[in-house]
Amino acid sequence: MRVGRLIVFLGVAAAVASMAATAGARTSSARTTTVTFWDAYSAGGGEVKTLEGVVIPGFEKTHPGIVVKDVTIPYDDLHQKLVTGVAGGQLPDLVRTDIIWVPELANLGVLAPLDQVMPDFKKYAARVFKGPLTTNYWKGHYYGLPLDTNTRIFNYSPAALSAIGASGPPKTFAQLISLSAQAKAKGYDLYAESGTSCWNVCPWIWSNGGSVTNKTYTKASGYLNGPKSVAAIQMLVNLYKAGEMPGIIVNSNAGLGTYDGINQNKYVATLDGPWMDAIFSAAYPKTQVVGSLVPAGPAGSISVVGGEDIVMTKSSKNKTAALEFLRYMLGYGTQAQLALAGQMPVLTSSSKWLTRVHPYYATYVKQLLTAKPRTPTPKWTQIDQVITTDVAKAFQGSESVQQALTDAATQIDGLLK
Amino acid sequence: MRPRRLTASSNSGTTSDSLGRSVTALRPRFRPTNVRRRKEITAAYLFLAPGFFLFALVILYPIVRAFQISLFNWSIVPGTASHFLGLHNYSRAIHDPIFWRALENTGFYMAVTVPGQIVLGLATAVLLDAHVPGRGLFRTIYYLPVVTSWVVVSLLFQYLFITDGGLANWILHDNLHLVGHNIDWLGTRWMAMLSLGILGIWKGIGWAMVIFLAALQGVPVELKEAAAVDGAKAWARFRAVSLPAIRPVIAFVTVMLVIGSFNVFISVFLMTKGGPLDETQVLLTYMYRWAFSYLDFGYGSALSFILTLIVFVLALAQLRLFRRPAEAHS
Repeated sequence: MRVGRLIVFLGVAAAVASMAATAGARTSSARTTTVTFWDAYSAGGGEVKTLEGVVIPGFEKTHPGIVVKDVTIPYDDLHQKLVTGVAGGQLPDLVRTDIIWVPELANLGVLAPLDQVMPDFKKYAARVFKGPLTTNYWKGHYYGLPLDTNTRIFNYSPAALSAIGASGPPKTFAQLISLSAQAKAKGYDLYAESGTSCWNVCPWIWSNGGSVTNKTYTKASGYLNGPKSVAAIQMLVNLYKAGEMPGIIVNSNAGLGTYDGINQNKYVATLDGPWMDAIFSAAYPKTQVVGSLVPAGPAGSISVVGGEDIVMTKSSKNKTAALEFLRYMLGYGTQAQLALAGQMPVLTSSSKWLTRVHPYYATYVKQLLTAKPRTPTPKWTQIDQVITTDVAKAFQGSESVQQALTDAATQIDGLLK
Repeated sequence: MRPRRLTASSNSGTTSDSLGRSVTALRPRFRPTNVRRRKEITAAYLFLAPGFFLFALVILYPIVRAFQISLFNWSIVPGTASHFLGLHNYSRAIHDPIFWRALENTGFYMAVTVPGQIVLGLATAVLLDAHVPGRGLFRTIYYLPVVTSWVVVSLLFQYLFITDGGLANWILHDNLHLVGHNIDWLGTRWMAMLSLGILGIWKGIGWAMVIFLAALQGVPVELKEAAAVDGAKAWARFRAVSLPAIRPVIAFVTVMLVIGSFNVFISVFLMTKGGPLDETQVLLTYMYRWAFSYLDFGYGSALSFILTLIVFVLALAQLRLFRRPAEAHS
């Protein structure tokens, strides 16, 4: 019977194909180990291009038998991707994670403590800046190593600054206030800020001598609503109410974003990180942006530490190969390549050559000397939302600054318990 | 074929059919019918099985699981213990002012978008039901927003409604001078919800239109002609003939749109992120925040289960409301 023969033939063919595929897979897995790496490198400023075009090919060339499968996820989606990965037990071998997520992931028990599983951890830990390294510390162990660091500085358009008649960027709070009025008279907003989270407002709180919590991160009352923190936010609120700051600080849809506003000569400056230069070069090549230190308050010029850490998951089945790639990412050559793409290296030795890669890094390096990290706690996302909401209430005028920060501090006290 | 009605004899205890014949006599004749009926029923269940299996897998199981999770302080890490909280997460929701605000906002969105889509969708369908030139083209144009990505149109509408520099204010304020100052479309609660509603209506008209158009084309022409012969004008024909004829379709569209409006998420998430100050949170964005930002899946699941209950009750209420009088009495 023709149909019967056909079925037998198809069955045999399927069996042969299946055996061949299995054999192929075995041969292939014997030859290579695949390390999966999730990251949120930006496609806009050439970071992804450097990773995929230079770093990974370089690693695979020097490490035959290891293939790196890079999965680039937009920053805004990475946290959710990690959460679903945790719930589904489908995490990659390595993750380049925002420094603020490390305590949360470590607390969930999904990260491998590097100080225990990486034999040469101490050697690599000694190579990196101490501040970024501490962002990997949670309950007695280091769960990662810093991969890149950054901070926010006062990035301004020299052309706009000149248009408002200023001889230079504001160096102190007092100069910021006077130049803001001067800018308004010329139809500009001197300082545009895109939100009220700690990333946005903490540099002003810290520079004024205030703080979010006590030094042991156990209490916010008396600190976030202390007189120095309140005065710092009050200064910004006063600028906003005088019409000298754009409404995007409270409502992102109130006007142009910071980059568009600077490019269109509406805003003079914003606080932002080292990626700004690469993005402006690519997207707004006609607009020059220069950086200076955050205007200093009574406590000095203190900004916020940002950046990413590289962590290995407990569930990784290729820990040896994953650690090899982790080490490679912290190599001098890799760090220099990524520095060219706008990622500030974490190696202490980089301060010697970093400004040769990009002169604008000099200000960031200087700012990092005094920059502070945000509160390392698994509840940080929730705490930051409390700060965002309550500070916004002060800007909108529904609550006084003192009242808003006291409300926030009370809520944060509960979250820190 | 309907089975014959059997009547029980109260005197003898034997059973006879309506014609008075004994069941014993009829039994041989009934057997093939019963077998056939059983086969039909089996076939029907077999046809239903794949659909029901999918329904159970992607709808029923998640609902039951969400309810289970909502009773715990749920640990998302597989294999780790979760703490049983009972109905605590539901109690939290009842005492959470932002939950109530999110519920109000969702209700407002429903109140704006459901009638908007029905009225405009029906009007468009009526216009396209007439033999106008380029009907196919208009159908495509009106349906285009339905197949466009929510992400794309949300970002587009966000740009339209930006306070300083957005198209809406550029037209209303800068060109037509209809308003004295730029409207803060996405910065205040009700204006933002209205803007989101406008997007929802614009995106949904095409879907309602297609369904209504199909229904209108099924209305018997003879009825319309008879009404016209009786002197009914176009509006009267529509009101007295077409509208009652498509009543079940209106019910279907209403139920689907109400369910859809309670599931509003992407536009709010992208355009306002529930802000400023949580003023534009809707149930799903608020649930998302608790589950995926704060990793409190217990509370997030409680919120989603409450949403499920609300939608279920609303759908039931609407189905009862739209029942034909005959169905209501049966």
